[in-house]
Amino acid sequence: MHVKYSYLEQQFAEVDAHFADLRKLVASGEFTLGPFVEDFEKKFATYIGVKHAIGTNTGTGALTLALKAAGVKPGSEVITVANTFIATVGAIVAAGARPVFVDCDERYQIDVNKIEAAITPETTAILPVHWAGCPPELEKILEIANRHAIPVVEDACPAVGAKIDGKFAGTFGKVNAFSMHPLKPLNVWGDGGIVVTNDDKLAEFLRLYRNHGLVDRDHVEIWGVNERLQPFQAVVGARVLDTVEGLVEARIRNAKLFDAGLKCLESFIRPPSRPVGYREVYQLYLVTAVRRNELLAFLISRGIEAKVHYPIPIHLQNAARGLGYKRGDFPVCERQSEETITLPAHQHITEEEVAYTIAKIRDFYQ
Amino acid sequence: MSIYTVPYSALAIEASTIKNELMRAVESVLDSGRYILGPEVTAFEQEFAIYCQTKFSSGISNGTSALHLVLRAIGIKPGDEVITVPNSFVASAAAISLAGGTPVFVDICHCGNMDPQQLEDAITTRTRAVIPVHLTGRPAEMQAILDIARRRDLFVLEDAAQAVGAELNGKRVGSWGDAACFSMHPLKNLHAFGDAGMVTSNDEVLIARLNKLRNHGLLNREQCDFFSFNSRLDELQAAMLRVQLRHLDDWTATRRNLALRYNDLLRPYVGVPDEGHGERCVFQTYVIKAERRDALKEYLNANGVEALIHYATPIHLQPAAKELGYGPADFPKTMEHVGKILSIPLYPTLSHAQQDHVAALISTFYQSN
Repeated sequence: MHVKYSYLEQQFAEVDAHFADLRKLVASGEFTLGPFVEDFEKKFATYIGVKHAIGTNTGTGALTLALKAAGVKPGSEVITVANTFIATVGAIVAAGARPVFVDCDERYQIDVNKIEAAITPETTAILPVHWAGCPPELEKILEIANRHAIPVVEDACPAVGAKIDGKFAGTFGKVNAFSMHPLKPLNVWGDGGIVVTNDDKLAEFLRLYRNHGLVDRDHVEIWGVNERLQPFQAVVGARVLDTVEGLVEARIRNAKLFDAGLKCLESFIRPPSRPVGYREVYQLYLVTAVRRNELLAFLISRGIEAKVHYPIPIHLQNAARGLGYKRGDFPVCERQSEETITLPAHQHITEEEVAYTIAKIRDFYQ
Repeated sequence: MSIYTVPYSALAIEASTIKNELMRAVESVLDSGRYILGPEVTAFEQEFAIYCQTKFSSGISNGTSALHLVLRAIGIKPGDEVITVPNSFVASAAAISLAGGTPVFVDICHCGNMDPQQLEDAITTRTRAVIPVHLTGRPAEMQAILDIARRRDLFVLEDAAQAVGAELNGKRVGSWGDAACFSMHPLKNLHAFGDAGMVTSNDEVLIARLNKLRNHGLLNREQCDFFSFNSRLDELQAAMLRVQLRHLDDWTATRRNLALRYNDLLRPYVGVPDEGHGERCVFQTYVIKAERRDALKEYLNANGVEALIHYATPIHLQPAAKELGYGPADFPKTMEHVGKILSIPLYPTLSHAQQDHVAALISTFYQSN
């Protein structure tokens, strides 16, 4: 059996409806921002329940724009985690700021008990990540942030559809970012991102900045960038958005099958705790495993495309050499980088494939 | 539908002529399941480099990012000066500012592009690079600019956003400088159906650095060499650009014929963009220089012809440039151009009848006023 990590060919096996949409776009000639992007933005804003959604070219761009809107400038410090995709930190650096890492907890999320000690007079934002599609403890993060009058910017890139007590990821912070990269829960056929906020002024800045600072065709108010969502991807995203609840529910079903199936192996391999009220979307189905590297090789040899996200924490990357961190600074994160494994548990994985994967894991350990 | 009988652009009509080819290209990307930096980007990079007569090219998310990333790649840092012209699209200067450098403007010469003499005078000990712009699809005076730049050890980055396929003395733009940036914005001669950009260069090391800069500074899936951006050319756009590239020479030939036809029709009334010695212009915009320009623009618009100004406010006078300290008296040639330039509709699907209509209106305007 071949248990594939990518599901894109399956997800987009039926594309007639998408193509009908795209033909409309091509016939309109609206290839730069315009009505297709606006429609998608409104639809997304309504879905998660925010006032403004601003489409961006990438999730990384969404993060950079969100940080700038939150007031991050050269010389600022931004607090985040070292166990995330590199773009979280790339965006901080792109905004001119210095990344300050804190360790994570046993749920692979930012350790809320370590945030306060990392705050300095230079801290301009806290950037918690919904790592793997799981919300961090946002209520506590907001409590700390509010006490210090520092804005929270959610890196909700992997977490479209995630919730805490019915409230969507991306609706907690002041200005928040999503990615629509092909391997995200709401995915398009290339790169795409979204910034969301309830603040009219920030929304105005974001729209200006993503489009060269142009107030209109002839007037440039600020130096901006070109970070526009492609209408092509907005059209694809709008249709995928109609299906996203179903996709998320399918992922949740598969994650539950795995959680239950791995129960009997919990001395070897175990999922993190799953607090009540947290709706995870399992962009990655992450578990902690004994002899991780051997298990990874074994599963791959049995046709199961397991992966590691990621073997090198960001503070130990070459790119971070100027930041002054060293091995041992974030023991939980470093241990997890050696122990966690990602199993294919996406929406197109079948019950049979789950059972096969669990059987192979059992073979490995017994 | 446009409210104009001669609209400024006709993107949907152009797209309809190759719609089936485009849809097939989209479909093949879709079927491949490879949506990010896949085989279409690689193939387009090879084809585009050949087209521009360079060894390499790198696909970037848009023309602005292409400029920004090259400036990052050559290590522009705060305090460094980069020289360009004030009569370009704002991105030429914004990219310098984004990269941390200081934009320094120099005036243009009669042709509307950078005046090499002014360039020489603007060079200081802090100058690191020069960005000549091939505005409207007319090549800048590259030989003179290169002579100066080589003597003063400056990096030459061609802003060829509007000029794909243009030539100077038989050599394509994009192959003159140390690197060149292109935009494939929908209004460009070779365009994506959204945003896209390219960098061309003969420098393998520079291209390798750009390929990392555009993709988070990643060496591979697990190792990050430096923190960077996500500025990748879209796989879908690359596939559609490959389709367009096959038609580009035909479209450019049509554009040039129409432009030269306009030149003959309009010469009695306005300044027309004749080609200079050795120049092969691609007329991304067709810009005339007109007396009583604002009245003419209003007259054309009122009579169903969509005329625009590229660009009505030069960059050095934009609010965004306030801290650079320029004033309205700084670039007389630019200011003279700004008061007279008018872009009138030109695209491959423009008919002779439409052209004649525009020319008749312009003739009537000047003869009856």
